[in-house]
Amino acid sequence: MNFSYISKGIKAYARAGLLLVVVAALSLEATAVLQYYYSRKGIRNEAVKRAESQISNVRLEIMDVIDQAEAAVRNSVWIAGWCLDVPDSVPSMVRRIVNDNPEVDGSTMAFMPGFDTERPLFAPYAYRYGNTTKVKTLATDDYDYPSHEWFTEPVGRDTGYWSEPYIDEGGGEMLMTTYSVPVKDKYGRTAAVLTADISLDWINSLIDSAQVYSHSFGIMLSREGRLMACSADTLGADMILDKDTFSILKEEMLKGTCGNMAIKHDGRLHQVFFAPVEHTGWSTAVIIPEDEIYAGIRRVGLMVKFLQLLGLAMLVLILRSVGKNQLKYQDLTEKKERMESELRIGHDIQQSMIPHTFPPFPERRDLDMSACLVPAKEVGGDLFDFYIRDEKLWFCIGDVSGKGVPASLLMAVTRSLFRSISMHEDGPGVITSKINEALSETNENNMFVTFFCGALDLATGQLRYCNAGHNPPLILSDRIRDLEVHPNLPLGIASDVEFQEQEEYLAFDDAVFLYTDGVTEAENITQDQFGQERMEAVLHTRRSARGHLEAMQEAISAFVGEAPRSDDITMLFIHYLDKDAPASGKRHIVLRNQIKEIERLAVYIDGIVEEMHIDSAVGTSLNLALEEAVTNVILYAYPEGKEGLVDIVTELGRESLTFTISDRGTPFDPTAMPEVNINAGVDERRIGGLGIHLVRNIMDSVSYSYSDGKNILTLTRKI
Amino acid sequence: MEVKITRQKNEVTAALIGRLDTPASLEIAPEMDKLKADAGGTIVLDCSEMSYISSSGLRIFLTLRKAANEKGGKVIVKGISNDIRSVFMMTGFLNLFEIQ
Repeated sequence: MNFSYISKGIKAYARAGLLLVVVAALSLEATAVLQYYYSRKGIRNEAVKRAESQISNVRLEIMDVIDQAEAAVRNSVWIAGWCLDVPDSVPSMVRRIVNDNPEVDGSTMAFMPGFDTERPLFAPYAYRYGNTTKVKTLATDDYDYPSHEWFTEPVGRDTGYWSEPYIDEGGGEMLMTTYSVPVKDKYGRTAAVLTADISLDWINSLIDSAQVYSHSFGIMLSREGRLMACSADTLGADMILDKDTFSILKEEMLKGTCGNMAIKHDGRLHQVFFAPVEHTGWSTAVIIPEDEIYAGIRRVGLMVKFLQLLGLAMLVLILRSVGKNQLKYQDLTEKKERMESELRIGHDIQQSMIPHTFPPFPERRDLDMSACLVPAKEVGGDLFDFYIRDEKLWFCIGDVSGKGVPASLLMAVTRSLFRSISMHEDGPGVITSKINEALSETNENNMFVTFFCGALDLATGQLRYCNAGHNPPLILSDRIRDLEVHPNLPLGIASDVEFQEQEEYLAFDDAVFLYTDGVTEAENITQDQFGQERMEAVLHTRRSARGHLEAMQEAISAFVGEAPRSDDITMLFIHYLDKDAPASGKRHIVLRNQIKEIERLAVYIDGIVEEMHIDSAVGTSLNLALEEAVTNVILYAYPEGKEGLVDIVTELGRESLTFTISDRGTPFDPTAMPEVNINAGVDERRIGGLGIHLVRNIMDSVSYSYSDGKNILTLTRKI
Repeated sequence: MEVKITRQKNEVTAALIGRLDTPASLEIAPEMDKLKADAGGTIVLDCSEMSYISSSGLRIFLTLRKAANEKGGKVIVKGISNDIRSVFMMTGFLNLFEIQ
């Protein structure tokens, strides 16, 4: 068996499948990459927006407090100026500042050293203590206020100044910052500094409260780069505590501009968004771990990947199942084709087992026979065979029960048995019995064969025959009748049956027609059967053996029409002839002198050609010669308008045909016409005279006579 | 008998279908006679579906051949069967026509 083309098919299919999967994977991946790229961009924009709004919130809140603190101080500066002259009123003034401004935790008015001659250092300080406000003096021995930044800076700058945040050691360890403004005396000299302390603890909670991602955090740096607030968890704190990272961060943030930078810490990339806080010189930042920004998209990406893989896996599964079906289908088709081709071969073998050269005995004058087997399917169960041995025609016909391959095998066996047994047995009865014996011994499928076997002695016309359940053949004699047969059992049923032989004599010109029931039981679309009557009707017309079989097939086809053929059709026609008889005499036809009659002439000649088994090329030329001769008579023998007849007799001889054409017209000898010059050029060629030229060429002899008032033209042609 | 005539630029083809016996020749003679008008160009007689010809058919062929000779055209006979070829042989027509 050859599977190479299947595996080729599989390979091609697998290649196509693989290609499909690869293309699908690539396009899915491209889509995912594109989608990832654009989503990433969008997500980054979103992160920037969130960070910026966070920063801006923080700034606004701080500015709000800062503004209030600054306002509280500025609004009191003119009162402070007035207080310069009345130092005792300072404590109550600072107390009022604290009382009136809830954001302010403490306030002092610290005199320039030596401004008040009575008190070289003077700085009453009001501060919140629980729900009350207390006042103390900062002018103590261990707190040299004129050296503190909050005092020196505004004096030196001669403008309001926010101090670096610091831890208030005096009250509650809070992170504080102080806003200080110089106070001028009436001469415009700086006489004191007025301050407001504000706690920065709320900045922590402010930064804490605005967390944009779960691990993002905010920080606030002072002007000097001190960490004022930080909402970092351990991870963030670790980063802030890392000196290198922090110094990079600090440097960038303290440039005083808004910005964004990426910073790497511990292998993780962080996005830092920062902005300055006006007035104070502080800077605030939001720090977001990069992987957190894109965590969403990564999740989506993973889901997309998962779906892609799922899709591809399904594609592969579908392709595989389709492939399997394809193979199954291919396999089925291949099986079917193989079976069909085997059946075709079977058909050819079967046809080659039966005689297939017709006419089978062209040299014999005593026998005109023909046979045919038309299987309904590729192979069938009908059989026939014949051959001549010892001047006897041995023949048989049979029909195996059932159809198709089993029947055809039994048919082959039966035919082989007939050939081998009939070769050295001398009677249809013995032959039939022996075939039956052989078939019965090996017949395990209980199939049987109806069978008819005969031997026709061609010298005497003796027909010995034996029937085994087959339908009786027809004898075509003076009438058509069934051959008398013993019914007998079909072959293959019981091995010990004796088959009786019968005998009959055929006269010359008698014929035997053998057939299987496929002929009589051929059904048309309404399930009527062809039947014996129609069959006999066909045989009533006299025809050659071959002509009978062809006419029968035509009649059956016409009767059956579109209905499907159900059974094999097998026929044998044996026409027993007298080999010494002048091939059966004369054929006669009378035509009127009309050109249309030429058509009847053609049918008449065709009949003779067929009857005499004449080669078709010879038949055509005979037709031509007769047409020419008869046309001549029709056109010229009688005066125009006068009706007349043309009489044609054909004598069928064993070796020649003789046509005698006679008419009662004007005496005219066509043979006296001058011969045409067939070598003449176009211009010299005469239009007429071709007819008789053709007659002379085709016929072996042409002669004319006039007697009894008749033109008689005699044409002879050897066959 | 059937004649199918198709004309191209300088060529007319007459396809002869069936048996060109005497009755058929008489039947198609008038139509074939008209082809003489085309004898200046090429007349193709397509015989690939013609099964038989008798002398009356040959006469029609010869008439056209003569006309072509006068007018300087030509007659081509196409697709003849072996039977018809032997008739052409017997009558010397093989030499008179261009056979294709």
